[in-house]
Amino acid sequence: MQTFAYFDSGHEFPEEIVMAAGFTPYKILGDVEAGTGAADEYLHTYFCPFARGALNQALAADDDWAGIGFAHGCDATNRHYDVWRRHLGQPFFWVNTPMKTNPTARVFHRRGLDDFRADLEKAYGVAITPEKLAAAIRQSNRIKEKMRRLAALRATRDITNPEYFEMVRTAVQEPRDRVLEYLGELEREWPARPAFPRALVPVLLTGSDVTFPGWMEVMEEAGLRVVRDDLSLGERYFHAAIPETVEPLKALVEYYALQPQPATRVPSDRRLDYLKTALWESGLNAVVSQNLKFCEPYAIDAPWIVNELKKQGIRIIHLEREYTPTLDHQALTRLETFRQLLE
Amino acid sequence: MRTIGIDIGSTTTKIAVLENDQLLYTEIVPTGYNVDKAWRELLAATLENLRLRESEIDRLVATGYGRNSVDIADRRITEIMCHAAGIVYSRPGTRSVIDIGGQDSKFIQLDADGNVADFKMNDKCAAGTGRFLEVMARALELNLEDFGRLSLVANRAVKISSMCTVFAESEVISLISRGEERENIIAGIHESIAGRVVSMMGRSGVKAPVAMTGGVARNQGIRKALEEKLKLNITVPETAQVNGAVGAAVLARKI
Repeated sequence: MQTFAYFDSGHEFPEEIVMAAGFTPYKILGDVEAGTGAADEYLHTYFCPFARGALNQALAADDDWAGIGFAHGCDATNRHYDVWRRHLGQPFFWVNTPMKTNPTARVFHRRGLDDFRADLEKAYGVAITPEKLAAAIRQSNRIKEKMRRLAALRATRDITNPEYFEMVRTAVQEPRDRVLEYLGELEREWPARPAFPRALVPVLLTGSDVTFPGWMEVMEEAGLRVVRDDLSLGERYFHAAIPETVEPLKALVEYYALQPQPATRVPSDRRLDYLKTALWESGLNAVVSQNLKFCEPYAIDAPWIVNELKKQGIRIIHLEREYTPTLDHQALTRLETFRQLLE
Repeated sequence: MRTIGIDIGSTTTKIAVLENDQLLYTEIVPTGYNVDKAWRELLAATLENLRLRESEIDRLVATGYGRNSVDIADRRITEIMCHAAGIVYSRPGTRSVIDIGGQDSKFIQLDADGNVADFKMNDKCAAGTGRFLEVMARALELNLEDFGRLSLVANRAVKISSMCTVFAESEVISLISRGEERENIIAGIHESIAGRVVSMMGRSGVKAPVAMTGGVARNQGIRKALEEKLKLNITVPETAQVNGAVGAAVLARKI
């Protein structure tokens, strides 16, 4: 099965339409080890380094992908569309998604999904039938359900931060049949793991998407274990099931309207509500909030989110992090101190 | 009980030796590029000066960015916790600590019992740190002591717009070529650093008494600029530069 890559700085891209067209959706995450050198020819270095890393990967992978989809994740990367379209050779598609979730926004979203389906059908000569879409949704839901069960084990079993990251990365990049097998293996292995280590402090992780394991390793080294999160490469991806009893594209609109809200959408209240609920559900009182350098949506939200959670008596630290594979000693010191304050 | 604290900073490595509650010894050496060599030689020299053997040290705590290189440490504790413990030792009752070192600046809030209530650190940038001051002093052809002292005789503070170390150096060079008085430029640099530190602190979190530690605490101009912005007196303990090491030695007694 051919790979269809997509660039999405949130969780907005309708993978199921691509699956129904006969492709494996592959979320472009960039390669932090490879850096951003080639992309820096087209994007200034004061833009989001993750976005530059993704473009860097796309430029190197020119022949490997049948096509590239571009989703409106955040406003800044949204405008990278033209840069990608001009410099990449594959068939290129645009999926627009609304900023809000009200009825008008849902109509707009539905039209965007209809257009994307029609564009794929025309470009590849395939028929994306309701039956194929329903089958793709069922497969996605099986994956999300397994991920939900596995993610819940973080609070009780010894599952490291990088292992959790690897589970989510696999789910958005590998062929979906293989993903189901892999998650099945984890379902057999993870429940048998030792209990949550006493030396570690459980936290909720929020903020910019963590797209490489380095940050998860820094947190692990600092003695902080992520047991809840609201990342697109995390709970946002598997939080809810896509409705299976309604017409497939309508179901996708409903699914995206109900997902935990990222900082790229307004108003931010729903994002805060999700964090409060997640903390209450899991009995957590500590949050690590972070934004990748130049990630404006999360940096804009951070002071308000931090203050609102502090008002609830939640211990919270906010950090800016770099796009680098090397251990960030300054971040480690801040995180270790935060853990020592929690002990 | 005899304890040692070693604080390996980006610029200097500090050691403090405590015997029961008495501060026996402190020393500061440049860290250099070889962190391991710096602390090992400092420890050996300290033991020699005090005529002690390593076995006569009950506990050793390492702190600072190089703390993980101290393989003989009984524990490694972050500099924030150590600076708090150090100031509680030298200035009990302090509620706010401003620590400006070579590579970063910190604000530590202490509760009434001397525990760390919260902390803030600078962004990942040299602006507002000792390194920034070193670069500015070099541009003005002054040593750090004169650099701090001269600003006190300035008749006004020139506005320094850039806080990026590289761009600020260019700005300072432009000001020199424009004929600005050196003292006024330095006062402007201090004001701009103080503004950045105060903004990091967030005015609502600052409680008196306020103490300042770290190598930059020796700079009287910075202290004055901070006092004016905070409208509070700032005390600088004699052990300001070795405060982290003292705190490490204090915490070593508790583990």
